[in-house]
Amino acid sequence: MHEMSVAMEICRIAEDQVGLDALCHVREIGVVVGRTSGVEPESLRFCLEALLANEPFRGARPTLELTSGDDLRVHYLEIDDDRPPH
Amino acid sequence: MTVRRIEVRERVMERNDALARDVRARLTGIGVPAFNLVSSPGSGKTLLLERTLQDLNGEMRIAIITGDVQTQNDADRIAQWTDNLVQAVVTGGACHLDARQVTQALEALELSTLDLLFIENVGNLVCPASWDLGETAKIVLFSVTEGEDKPVKYPKMFQQARYVVINKTDLLPHLSFDVDLAKAYAREVNPDLEFFETSALTGSGMEAWYDFLRAQARRPIGVT
Repeated sequence: MHEMSVAMEICRIAEDQVGLDALCHVREIGVVVGRTSGVEPESLRFCLEALLANEPFRGARPTLELTSGDDLRVHYLEIDDDRPPH
Repeated sequence: MTVRRIEVRERVMERNDALARDVRARLTGIGVPAFNLVSSPGSGKTLLLERTLQDLNGEMRIAIITGDVQTQNDADRIAQWTDNLVQAVVTGGACHLDARQVTQALEALELSTLDLLFIENVGNLVCPASWDLGETAKIVLFSVTEGEDKPVKYPKMFQQARYVVINKTDLLPHLSFDVDLAKAYAREVNPDLEFFETSALTGSGMEAWYDFLRAQARRPIGVT
């Protein structure tokens, strides 16, 4: 699977959860990546870091949790409501 | 600092897969088969569709959804051969179509008037394998200018496909491409694959492809 398209979908899920205006407050995105999910974790991390460094995000950190199996899901978002907007 | 944690637990593909299920239910309900045409860039998807429309347009009603990263050149090429709608999806950078785009494209199509739907995906043998579009089946185009070992290099796409069209066969006399070896590689990753050998340029092998489409197309309402 192409990791950038997965990273873009993860960002969309984050937007669905908190809304476009609040994406700048996202501090961390937790993602579960199964070893047989077809995703190369380091490549996904690289793509996520690239996307999260830019607006509408403001440098959120991707945290990948490697598991066995083919799971691939967004586990959690950490939001810092005091983070100043752009 | 006030940090809160939102538990999401959403599969990355969940939203796409839910939309794909809706697309599939809608198309199945009305009896219109949809084929997701996937391949490397330049393997001849657009020419195959042009030729198919040119030869079958009076016989069955075919609509096309085309996906390209930029331009609607493919849609413009195809549109000259059909009065049915050709929906161009410009992905704007994404290397695949997704079920949301197909759902939107379907809104412009009068499905009840169609016998067959093709979705010409973005040329890419990696990403489109992971995105269910609600299609009846994936068809991989595989041109003889590519290596015979494409199926083992891109196994997921060939595992997910039901049919393989080996295209540009008019070039075989000029190449060392071994069709039997290519099929053996493909069967190695998916023993159930069915094959067509075509040249959309010369028309060679197209009759078997058309017979397949005739057998798949929705039977007109009232005809038994």
